[in-house]
Amino acid sequence: MSTITNLTHPTAALRRRAAAQDHYRPAGLLLATIGLIATVSAAIVLWVGARNVADAERLAELKAIGFGLNTTGFALVKSAIAVVLMGILIRLWLRVDSIKGALATLKPDAVAPAPRGEITARHGAATETAATPQPLPIHRVAKTMWAPMLGIGAMAVLAGLAVSWAWAGNPASVAAAAWTQGLQFLGEALILAGISFLLGSILAGLREGGGEVQAALGLPVQTLRTPNTAKMFVALMMLGVMAGILQFALYLVVAAGVANPGAWFAWLGPFREFSLAMILSGIVLALVTIGDVLGFQFDRIRSILVTGK
Amino acid sequence: MTTSSDFAVETTSRAVGYNLPQTMGRRLWLPTLVMAVVAFPTALILSGVRAAELAATSPDGNRVAVLGQLVPAVQFVGFAAVFTAISFAIARILGVFRKGGSEIQEAAGSPVRTLRTPAAVRVFMASMMMGMVAILVAVVLHLVVAANVTTWSAESIETWSEALEGVRRAGVAVYLFGITFGLATIVEVLSFQSIRIGELASERAL
Repeated sequence: MSTITNLTHPTAALRRRAAAQDHYRPAGLLLATIGLIATVSAAIVLWVGARNVADAERLAELKAIGFGLNTTGFALVKSAIAVVLMGILIRLWLRVDSIKGALATLKPDAVAPAPRGEITARHGAATETAATPQPLPIHRVAKTMWAPMLGIGAMAVLAGLAVSWAWAGNPASVAAAAWTQGLQFLGEALILAGISFLLGSILAGLREGGGEVQAALGLPVQTLRTPNTAKMFVALMMLGVMAGILQFALYLVVAAGVANPGAWFAWLGPFREFSLAMILSGIVLALVTIGDVLGFQFDRIRSILVTGK
Repeated sequence: MTTSSDFAVETTSRAVGYNLPQTMGRRLWLPTLVMAVVAFPTALILSGVRAAELAATSPDGNRVAVLGQLVPAVQFVGFAAVFTAISFAIARILGVFRKGGSEIQEAAGSPVRTLRTPAAVRVFMASMMMGMVAILVAVVLHLVVAANVTTWSAESIETWSEALEGVRRAGVAVYLFGITFGLATIVEVLSFQSIRIGELASERAL
């Protein structure tokens, strides 16, 4: 828990230590490279399978191995993305310290105005308050949930990889095929949800950090109101996670025995990809929101530098 | 102690704007996201039609085979679109840092130092292009196979399907790899800006 708190709101000592040591970025890039190698290896397995289509059993065996390895490779690259996002999170707080220090010196002397409540900024509707606003409930959830989501997601993908070996040993087993696909895509959805929560934690950090800088200077705290892109981000992520859990449940139904498993597999494959697509679409909107919040903050810093208020 | 001079920078007297990829990112993230949001439900509907055909008492083999190619083709148009939208959104963030950071330096009356294009950005852009090409080539070839299901043997169709699955998935992996580098660039930019903003106060004192 302390590691999570250290990342989402590090102490001054931790911020200084992070400035000297940046392990997250190289660790993330190394993990991404390992994931890429795993996925390309899986592609090679599939190409070997393509040369063995006359031998149905051999093809099914290679497809099972390729599926497990490929999905694990994707999970590794997505975990790498999460590790790099942790690096961004800690760097954001270093930026807060640096802006706070610089503005204290550079800000022209001016009488701080009274907070105006609701205001309209260039980047949208904002609030102006005397103190830093409390974190939104979704920010609290994001800070608490990103680590469990990543952990459970990784375990589900690895469990699916183990089941894929059983599937390769008995390629005709519908149950093994269903368990592998359901487990691994549940894991993928949870890892993407973990990434989404990390992006939510970055948004929370921007909000808290921006407030901390303005409050330290004795100025009214301007905060961007939750943009529509952020609301859509949360909705898409929830839809995607629910679809990810539902696809797992439906694969369990197939594993328990259905009349025509081929027909089930035909639409469950695209359905599980749909669940990931919804979370990925939410991630696009989270990144767009981060861009908007940063733009708002740069405008605010510039305004403080020029006017002192 | 690290200073902004330890980074590869460009120095100008005025604030800088967005570069070409960042401008593209600002304009194109939404159209590509819309394309993705349309493609995935379309693929899901097509897969439902295929599943219904497979469950029928006498399935039409050609129809099943054509849909077997169209579903992954549409689905991976969606993946190419959503990963492109993510890449554009990252480029958009990098643009905000570039423009906003330079405007702050200009407002502080200091020389404007901007990070030169880092190596990670080059890997990000190259991977994005390679991933996109791999996926789109696979999509086009799926359409070629779909157009030939009545003339090609079942074995040929199966061979192509397996090979193209490998190409598609390798394309997705390369895309994700590039996105990792895009985000790693943000870490680098944050490090640079934290140091540079810290220097502004001492430059004013001089």
